[in-house]
Parts: sequence; C-alpha cells; structure tokens
Amino acid sequence: MARDLGELNREDFARYKDDVKKEGKSFFPRALFHDTVMSLVVVCVIVALAAIWYFDADGVKSGILGPWYTEPADPATTSFVPRPDWYFYFLFYLLRIFKWPETVFIATVGIPTIALILLIGLPFYDRRRERRPSRRPVAMVAAVLTVLSMAVLTWKGATAKEALGSELVAFVPEWAQEQGFADDPQAVKGAELFAQSGCLNCHTYLGQGAGNLGAPDLSSIGQTNEATYFVRYLTNPAAFGNTVMGSYAYLGQENLDALGAFLAASKGG
Amino acid sequence: MAKKSKRGTLVETAVLAPLDWVDERTAAVRGTKWFLFRNVPRDISWAQTLGSATLTAFIVQTLTGVILAMYYEPSSSINPTTGKPVAYSSIEAITNDLTLGWLVRGMHRWGASVFIILLFLHMGRVFLFGAYKYPRELTWITGVFILVTGMLLGFTGYLLPWDQTAYWATVVGINLNGTAPFLGPWLAQFLATGPEIGSETLAKWYSLHMLVLPGAIIGLIGVHIYLVTRLGVVSPPWSGERAGRERAEAAPTGARAGLVRGGTSGGGK
Ligand code: HEC
Ligand code: HEM
Repeated sequence: MARDLGELNREDFARYKDDVKKEGKSFFPRALFHDTVMSLVVVCVIVALAAIWYFDADGVKSGILGPWYTEPADPATTSFVPRPDWYFYFLFYLLRIFKWPETVFIATVGIPTIALILLIGLPFYDRRRERRPSRRPVAMVAAVLTVLSMAVLTWKGATAKEALGSELVAFVPEWAQEQGFADDPQAVKGAELFAQSGCLNCHTYLGQGAGNLGAPDLSSIGQTNEATYFVRYLTNPAAFGNTVMGSYAYLGQENLDALGAFLAASKGG
Repeated sequence: MAKKSKRGTLVETAVLAPLDWVDERTAAVRGTKWFLFRNVPRDISWAQTLGSATLTAFIVQTLTGVILAMYYEPSSSINPTTGKPVAYSSIEAITNDLTLGWLVRGMHRWGASVFIILLFLHMGRVFLFGAYKYPRELTWITGVFILVTGMLLGFTGYLLPWDQTAYWATVVGINLNGTAPFLGPWLAQFLATGPEIGSETLAKWYSLHMLVLPGAIIGLIGVHIYLVTRLGVVSPPWSGERAGRERAEAAPTGARAGLVRGGTSGGGK
C-alpha cells in the first residue's frame, strides 16, 4: 500500500504527459495568442508610465511619478535623504526596526538570507503532492502572512519621514543655546554641518533625527571624548570598529575640525 | 513523387533547402518546432501568461538599455561645458535633447519597476498553483536566482544617473553591505572601490549593470524557459479536467463522468 513518494510523483507526471498529449492544445498559436495579448498590455503600461512621468515632471521638478532627476550628486553637501527604489523599501524599513548596532546585521543579512533559503528550499520541504490551494492551508496562510508583512514594510518604508538637512539647520540656534556653545563659531559651524551632512539620518540629537541602524544619540557625546578624537573617528569610522558609518574624510580638515568642536561641545542639554 | 509546380520548386530551393542545411548542422528548426508545436494543457489560465509577460518586460529593458548605453557616460568628473558631472549631463542630454530619448529612458526606468512587479506576480502564481513541486523544482530555483539578479540589476542601475537620489541611496546601500559579518567590509570596499564613491565606483557599477548581471540573468532565463518547455506547465489545480488528474480505476467511460470527476481525491496533478 505505502508506495514511495518518488514513485507516485513519477506516475502523476507520466499521466500528466499523457493527458497533455491526448487532450492538450497546441502552444502555437493558441496559448501564444494569450501570451501576446498580455505582453502587449505590459508594453502599453510601460509606455504609459514613461509618458506620465515625462509630461508631468520638468527637470528636477517632480510630477506624480517623481522628477526626471534630482540635483547632481554632491558628496559634500549631504543634506539629502537617502531613499532606495520602492522595491527595497521593505529592507529599508526593516533597518529601522533593528536599531541597535549589534542587531543591524539581522536586518541587513540575517532576514534576507533566511528568506532566500526558505524560498530556494520550498520544493524540498513542501513535498506533498497536493497542489490545490484549498488543501494546502499551511502554505496559503504562510503566503498571506508573507505578502501582508512585505506590504506593510513597503508601506512603512514609503511613508517613513526623515527630516531634510535644510529643515534641520533651523534647529542649530536652539542646540547652541541648550548646549551652551552659541559663542563658539567653530562649534556652530560644526552644528550646521552636522545638520546638513546626513548624520541625523542615522543618529539622534536632542530629539531630532531618525535613530537608524543602531546609531547612538549624540546629545551628550562630548562627555566621552574630545574634539581630536572625534576628528579621527569621522575620518575613518571603520578603524574604530564602526562599519555602518561611512568615512567623512571628504569634508576636508577644516570642516572635520568644526564637527569635532561641535561634538566635543555637546555635553547634554 | 508528384511533379512539383514551378512555385513549389522555388520555395524548395530558396527557403526550405537553406533551412534544411542549417537544421542538419544545428537542429535549430527541429528545436523551434519542438518549442512551438508542443501541446499544453487545454485548461491553462490567463494567470499563466505572467511568465511570458515578464519575459517581455525583460526584453523591453534589454532593448532600451542598449540604446541608453550608446549615449550614457559613466564618469563622475565634471563636464567643463555644463559644470555638472559627466554622467549626470549625459542623462540630462538623453532626457532633454535626444529625439525620443525621454521615452527610451522612461521606458527603461519604469520598465524596471514593471519587471519586478511581474516577477513577484509570476512567482505568486507558481506558488498558488503548487507548480514548484516535482518535477519542476529546478525551474523554481532558477526562478529564485532570476529574482535576486533582477533586484541587483535594479540596485546597480539606480546609481547611474549620478543625481542626489542615486548617490545617497547607494552610499547607504554600500554601508549596509558593510555590516555583514566576515565578508561585509570586504564587499563594501569592493562595491565602493576606494575610500570615496566616485568615478571608479560608477564604472564598476556600470559594468555590473550592463554586462555581468544581464549576462547572468539571460543565462538563467534560458535555462528557465528550456525547463518550462521540457516539463510543460501545470493545469490550474482546481480544474476538473486538469492534465494528470487521477481517475477512478476502470471507470465506465461517459456514463458516470460527473461522479468520476468529482470523486477523485489526493494529489491530482
Ligand atoms: C549610516 C548611518 C550613520 C551616519 C550617516 C552617521 N553615523 Fe555616526 N555612527 C553610526 C553608528 C551605527 C555608530 C555606532 C557604531 C558603534 O557603536 O560601533 C556611530 C557612531 C558615531 C560616533 C561615536 C559614538 C560613540 O559612542 O563613540 C560619532 C561621534 C558619530 N557617529 C558621529 C557622526 C557624525 C558627526 C556623522 C555625520 C557627519 C555621523 N556620525 C553619521 C552610524 C552613522
Ligand atoms: C525573467 C524572469 C522570468 C521569466 C522570463 C520567466 C518565464 C517563465 C515562463 C514563460 C513560464 C511558463 C508558464 C507561465 O508563463 O506561467 C514560467 C514558468 C515557471 N516559472 Fe518562471 N519566469 C521568470 C521568473 C521566475 C521566478 C522569479 C520564479 C520563482 C521563484 C519562477 C518559477 C517558475 C516555475 C516553477 C514555472 C513552472 C510553472 C508551471 O509549470 O506551471 N519563474 N516562467
């Protein structure tokens, strides 16, 4: 009675081949006709999207489908909010869930790797011969949960707000007041750079910023070290075991010194 | 042998003979016939056009990509006439000056999103139909690799316009790679090419985007479609006349057809 799975599978497939041969229809032209209709729809959708995108926007001025391009890349004034293409939003948002440095790699590597292994392995752990959705409740529930969580993560990623550098600069006087460095022009300049250089896409400072990727709050960082240390840190974070933060060496020595002065002056409001 | 008409002889020498000549050496004609004149289940549904629709979106990407590559220049150095990075200026020129350049670029840009969406829809259809089960496991696995390669294509293409969006998304992306244990920092170093993201990075990503990854994905698509043709596509699993359905032993033909169809259970394929 208990015949082995391989045998049953091969029988099923032999019967499938037989049925297709006897009862099937020819791929050309009958199935190909449906394929062609669908393909034409796809091409029309692509052309329509391109046209809406082009005619609704104008240069860097955004239409409903975004601008033609944003300003040229500029590593020095990093007042720009990084945003990947929409199909990476779910990853982007995962990163905000795993905030602590020790856990960042769960989001960047761990979860995607597990998801991939689960996907590749699917035919090997789901070995039942049953194909009807109504009789595969576990698979269907798992699929619905996957789709829902991807949708929620994508949606959250799409609507996640990050303050623009230009808006953050407005907080500099407030910071200077609270931290008491208002009469130190170098620290004030550092604070402006800090607001504009995207630091707050990861860090938080006196209630501003994102708290992303495990970056710590810097409001009272000045209590831990002095300016020269921070300059060295920013020049090469990797040397301090920080592989999340990129090097800010490109800002130039003068700007780095200003940032260092600002960080050292941030003793906590 | 019946005597041939004049027209028949002409067709024979001008078309059929060369085809035979090629077929004798390559089996190309036999191969094409094998592909086109095979039978597919008679009850296949519209959902099963999603695979070929994905292929169409990919072909759109290839054609528009080839045209873009003729005008795009992967360099971040400053173009002396525009005062903007060369890559950025070439994108501007394609969008604004080149005849129908906006359409080509727009189709490539939006085609990428459509392609990714279709990939997921097609995968969802395969999952719903349980079509990843025996003997189509490898078709599924090549599909998963296609999905990953497709997303990498999107990721590498995103940098190329060299605008702020592109640049900052990429900086974050590279830093994220850096968080992976062991290989992470090395990978980040490789992707960024040096301490700063600049021309060398751009050249490397360009070659990944237009040579390495398309090469890989075209190979994978080839294997995928070969497997689909060889193994055939499944019937919708809920279809009463699905190919490979189980029949009650020695069922009297005709008379009790309804009973026979409704009464089968288990792994109907
Ligand atoms: C991509 C995200 C990211 C960005 C952008 C970023 N940082 Fe960081 N930074 C981090 C992370 C994560 C850590 C913690 C690393 C660790 O604990 O090993 C950190 C650590 C630091 C530290 C050391 C904190 C300590 O406890 O010693 C300083 C100082 C710092 N960042 C300053 C800055 C400044 C200034 C900027 C902007 C010029 C900046 N960061 C931009 C992610 C970022
Ligand atoms: C460039 C991307 C892809 C192309 C061009 C492509 C093309 C096709 C085509 C033409 C078919 C025939 C049936 C149909 O259209 O549904 C097919 C079937 C199939 N595809 Fe894909 N596919 C792609 C990606 C994927 C992905 C991402 C997966 C899953 C991870 C996948 C898994 C499968 C499986 C298992 C079948 C067999 C289904 C059956 O027999 O009913 N494919 N593919």
